[in-house]
Amino acid sequence: MRTELTLADADGFYEKLLDAQQGLSDEQRKLFCARLVLLLANQVGDDRVLEQCIDAARRGIG
Amino acid sequence: MPDDATPRLPLRTGTAVTGGHYELPVYPFVEPAELRGGLGRHPVAIVGAGLTGLTLACDLALRGIPAVVLDEDDTVGVRGAASRGICYAQKSLEVFRRLGIYERVAAAGVQWSVGRTYAGDDEVYALDLEGQATHEGSEQPAFINLQQFYVEWYLVDRLYELGTVELRWKNRVAGLIQRDDEVLLEVETPAGRYRLAAAWVVDCSGGHSRLRQWCGVGVLGHRGQDRWCIADVRFRVQPPAERWTWIEAPFNDGRAAWQHRMADGVWRLDYQLPADTDLAQASRPEVVEERLRRQFGADLDHELVWVGAYAYRSECLERFRSGRVLFAGDAAHVMSPFGARGGNSGVQDADNLGWKLALVLGGGLPQRLLDSYDEERRSAAHENIRVTRRTARFLSPPNDHERVWRQAVLGLAREVPFARAFVDTGRLSAPTLYPASMLNCGVGGGRPLANVALALAEGRRADLLALFEKAGDAFVGLLFGDLPAGRAGALAELQRRYPVRFFRVGGEAAAGLLPRVIDLHGRLARQAAVGEGGFALLRPDCYLAGTLTAPSAAEIERALRIALALESR
Repeated sequence: MRTELTLADADGFYEKLLDAQQGLSDEQRKLFCARLVLLLANQVGDDRVLEQCIDAARRGIG
Repeated sequence: MPDDATPRLPLRTGTAVTGGHYELPVYPFVEPAELRGGLGRHPVAIVGAGLTGLTLACDLALRGIPAVVLDEDDTVGVRGAASRGICYAQKSLEVFRRLGIYERVAAAGVQWSVGRTYAGDDEVYALDLEGQATHEGSEQPAFINLQQFYVEWYLVDRLYELGTVELRWKNRVAGLIQRDDEVLLEVETPAGRYRLAAAWVVDCSGGHSRLRQWCGVGVLGHRGQDRWCIADVRFRVQPPAERWTWIEAPFNDGRAAWQHRMADGVWRLDYQLPADTDLAQASRPEVVEERLRRQFGADLDHELVWVGAYAYRSECLERFRSGRVLFAGDAAHVMSPFGARGGNSGVQDADNLGWKLALVLGGGLPQRLLDSYDEERRSAAHENIRVTRRTARFLSPPNDHERVWRQAVLGLAREVPFARAFVDTGRLSAPTLYPASMLNCGVGGGRPLANVALALAEGRRADLLALFEKAGDAFVGLLFGDLPAGRAGALAELQRRYPVRFFRVGGEAAAGLLPRVIDLHGRLARQAAVGEGGFALLRPDCYLAGTLTAPSAAEIERALRIALALESR
């Protein structure tokens, strides 16, 4: 799992991510996030990296 | 077959529906020798003449072990439950080929190639298996659908034809005493009660086996909330010969449903029910008829063949061997029916155990070989339970959160191909890998080899399993390419001392040496991942024990000794 920045425009990505969810209900937002995770997982395409990302995401919540 | 005496939630309740059910054979009760004063010890007693027990009996018969099979009933299939397993996967079909019933299974069974998956009113995706080489190279297809009792029937016919196994119908096992050198079974029959002695007992008596308690072997279990109801139906007008799966069926209140075809134009319809449904109520014929009308319309012309409701459960014994008692099939493990992993894993249990029992009994090999049965098949059971529980979780999300994830999967599956991989309506039974097996003696150990086509040196077409027939059911050692000078003599010596037969694959034709086969499409070398000069050792269940690169005769002997449990790695 890479921990250094790989995005050319982090602020732009963050804004697009939030904008895309504007006007959605809570239910629709959950669905959006799930769809996005599945799409991104297939772009990563590496089981070990995905497992590390899942662990890192979970660890930060305690 | 299951013993329903214990008061617990039945795995499956069955109702025969008049008019539609099958004519099943009835086998005669013959007074056992023990009741006529005969004593003596049987090498193997198999408890339960279901799919697993009959497969094992047939396997042992072909290996020259005259087992005795005890069954409390006198027919195939559970009485009144004319239908259980319906789908036989490739590895089972290869086993049936070896046992000599494959031709009958293939002639009676049906195959489909188109599968469609629906959610709501839309098709999520369709799949055509035609021409897809997912199981490259086997002479047997990926699967055949057939009612289980037919397979049992063919196995019984085959056993009577072979003649060495004694099938004891109406013999109910009521108790068990284990001694150091034998097991005693208390058996009840219409002619009275007797005691049977056997060197080994294999419990194939199903998911309600009592032998497990008598042996003090614990059962680790999980009971699901999910309830299903099966209806086997004969239609006047046949639906398309395709497998249809609904994840959210509009005619089943948004729950899952299945539609597959079996032999005799009978269809298996399987409906997911609300959690904690009353199974008896849900399987009443008038309730089932109403469900059918919702799916197929009011003017449906059909005949109900069998109806049965069941609840999911997963169970696995803490060990599959207890002294001289071994557990196989549902007696050892129970799982949800997804992917046809129940019956097929029972066949694989029998395939794994038969040669080991035969070699321990007749070949003087250590009992440790049977511990490898426990190790390998218990890991297989755990894998099957894990895989089927994943499917159950997809089909019945336990909470709203997981339902949202499923909604995301179903949405994406309609839009982009990769997401179809997440749609889990069951993963078809595949032979389990044993990468950690104590019998592995080289690279690639614990991998199954498909039954590929070969040609014999005299030009006749054969298959990989034919080599095991030529080998007298021993191990098969394959030497790829030409033999180093003087090697044949050393190998002939190994053949005299161990249960193994060597074959050359390809290389120069030469008279008087080891028998030679031609790897027609290079599939054997590819599957085994062996190059020229390499060696592959195949177990009698057609698993690779391991491969070696250009080994000496001494290295081949060491590999054999590991694969036979004579030495540790």
